[in-house]
Amino acid sequence: MLQGVKRDSGSVATIGSADEADLIERCRAHERAAHDELYHRFRRQVAGNLYRVLGDRNDLDDLVQEVFVIAFRGLDKFRGDARLSTWLYRICVNVALGRIRTRKRRPAAVGVQDLDSANADPSLTERPETPERSLERRQDQERVYRALDTLAPKKRIVLYLHEIEGLDLKEIAYLVDSNPVTVRTRLFYARREFYAHLAGEPADPGSKDNE
Amino acid sequence: MTAHVPPHHWADALHGRLSHAECAEMEQHAAECTKCARTKVRIQRASDTFTTIRTQTAPDLPWDSVRARVHWSVSTERRAKVTLPSRTNRIGWVAVVAAAAAATIGIVAIDRDAPAPTVAVAPPPAPGSAGSATPARPSALVGLVNRATGDVLLNGLRPAALFTKKLVAGSVLATGDGRVDVQFGDTSAFGLGPHSMLELRTFDASTIELVIEGTVDIEVAPRATNQRFLVIAGDRTIEVRGTQFRVRHDRESTTIACRHGLVAVRDPSGQLEVGAARTLEVKTGSHIKQQRVTTLSADEVTALADATPMTLPIWNLDALVQTSAPLEIATVGRRDIRVDGVELGRAPMSVRVMPGRHTVEAADSAGRFKRAGWIDVAAPTASSKPARLDVPAEAAPTRDITARRRQLKQGIDKARIAACTRQLTKSADLAGAYVQIELSVDARGAVGFLNVIETDLPKDTAECVRRVLADVAFDAGATATWRERIAL
Repeated sequence: MLQGVKRDSGSVATIGSADEADLIERCRAHERAAHDELYHRFRRQVAGNLYRVLGDRNDLDDLVQEVFVIAFRGLDKFRGDARLSTWLYRICVNVALGRIRTRKRRPAAVGVQDLDSANADPSLTERPETPERSLERRQDQERVYRALDTLAPKKRIVLYLHEIEGLDLKEIAYLVDSNPVTVRTRLFYARREFYAHLAGEPADPGSKDNE
Repeated sequence: MTAHVPPHHWADALHGRLSHAECAEMEQHAAECTKCARTKVRIQRASDTFTTIRTQTAPDLPWDSVRARVHWSVSTERRAKVTLPSRTNRIGWVAVVAAAAAATIGIVAIDRDAPAPTVAVAPPPAPGSAGSATPARPSALVGLVNRATGDVLLNGLRPAALFTKKLVAGSVLATGDGRVDVQFGDTSAFGLGPHSMLELRTFDASTIELVIEGTVDIEVAPRATNQRFLVIAGDRTIEVRGTQFRVRHDRESTTIACRHGLVAVRDPSGQLEVGAARTLEVKTGSHIKQQRVTTLSADEVTALADATPMTLPIWNLDALVQTSAPLEIATVGRRDIRVDGVELGRAPMSVRVMPGRHTVEAADSAGRFKRAGWIDVAAPTASSKPARLDVPAEAAPTRDITARRRQLKQGIDKARIAACTRQLTKSADLAGAYVQIELSVDARGAVGFLNVIETDLPKDTAECVRRVLADVAFDAGATATWRERIAL
């Protein structure tokens, strides 16, 4: 069983497995209060996941809505082989993937400059946050998201989950509904392209999964 | 190493995925190759950024609005899946019901002396039409929002001008933390409580059918013999003829509380009547026939009275749309509000008012209403924005204000005050002119807020004086909030 793939930064209320099972049962019975409870417990985690994967806040509320609608519709099919938070993360990944595909066709008007530096956990920023440092960090983030934008959607998701979120192949395979071997192959090409782009020397964009 | 280092190798090295020997070789190459040294720095910086990205938290979103939209999507879809017959069938069914209503009215008649119908906007259906081969379609009803607090969604969207929207059959309302009151006739209205949803399944002169989830307070004028008013809560139907009542429906139970009049509650097991100041709670899975009607306590009756949906004294749809306008009342935190002496509940809220000057009072922490200001509301035009009154923040309790008062009086720049009133003095006598202000000063001497509460000066002059007063420098000292009347 996959246990809590996503470690969100403190915004998710802890929820025991007994509580979780009870909550799921109540949601399956279409209890309004249970839907509200699930929403309240996981809304920030869901929004955070989408925000980080996509790198902008455009239509973020619509995407959060989409994730929860899919979750409530699909709870009957939730087998319990992963934590609820992991399952929701999986939905987030799929919604984000859809969004990236749409955005590729219709580029977003506003980009990663939306990323709010004030949202970062201050305990994890090593240097004091001077305006110059803040600008520098924002530029670095923009560079990273620009490099991510050059990747095919599936490669992008896999690379994000591995390099930025630090998940292993098995966890990623569950989230993207694939197998670890495929994930490893995608990651192989994605890393070459991504780091080559960061270094300023675009690589041959691989041979697989270009959508 | 003679060839350049592939960029992703630098990432591998940073993550400890390469041996010491490989790392050393790469470092040695970078020491001699400026291109690889630059690549290394770039990858290092990007890698540092990963941590920042990983710890980003989501920005604040309109959580209530999102929740209501989610709920609306899920429940609308569920209801559509479960029972809805086709539209044509429903129309036919309603016609049959309308025809049968006259025959069955003797059974469910509750108020035989009911006055003529006042709910319908349009005239009632032609006599005998129910029995004819092609019955005339009853006139459609229209509802208008009179009061709204918090997020309100109409058909899954948050409309920009909620007060101008006409609610018709098929409309679905959903609420977040707040509440919305909708009037649909003379003294007929419903108030949808927090986290609730309501669908106007049928909304015409002969039949009103509301499907609810959550809490709804309804006040309905006495219905004519050929008119039906139904509330569908799960598999229970509540029918009334003229009454004020509340229905609360959730997964656990359905509760019907009646303030006055009589309510008939039905399910497949039979029917039960709930009279004035009585309540009936039916648990999920049990039948009405197994339940007993109980008496409401005095507090519960009062709570029902307090939840009476807001109605305007006149009900003329066209006139209301053209002449009335929403008034936004903004408060810091939630405060009870009175408009023109009528208590309207907790602000922030928007409320429908007629054009003219309206006085707004806000309750303080002790529950005493104090004047918050007045506002002129104009008749709406296509481009006009809703009138808005910002209620000044409630003053924090304070003790030692003597020193602060002295500092204020000493600190006023009299020359600037004179400049503010110079124009006035040319044309009018300033004797007796005054400005009453309320202000707060913190321990550092910073002015927290400064509001002009009352003055007999023109608006521009009062604002000029306010700016002068706001520039008064206070020393560090006690925190104080007080009111001061300054004669000019």
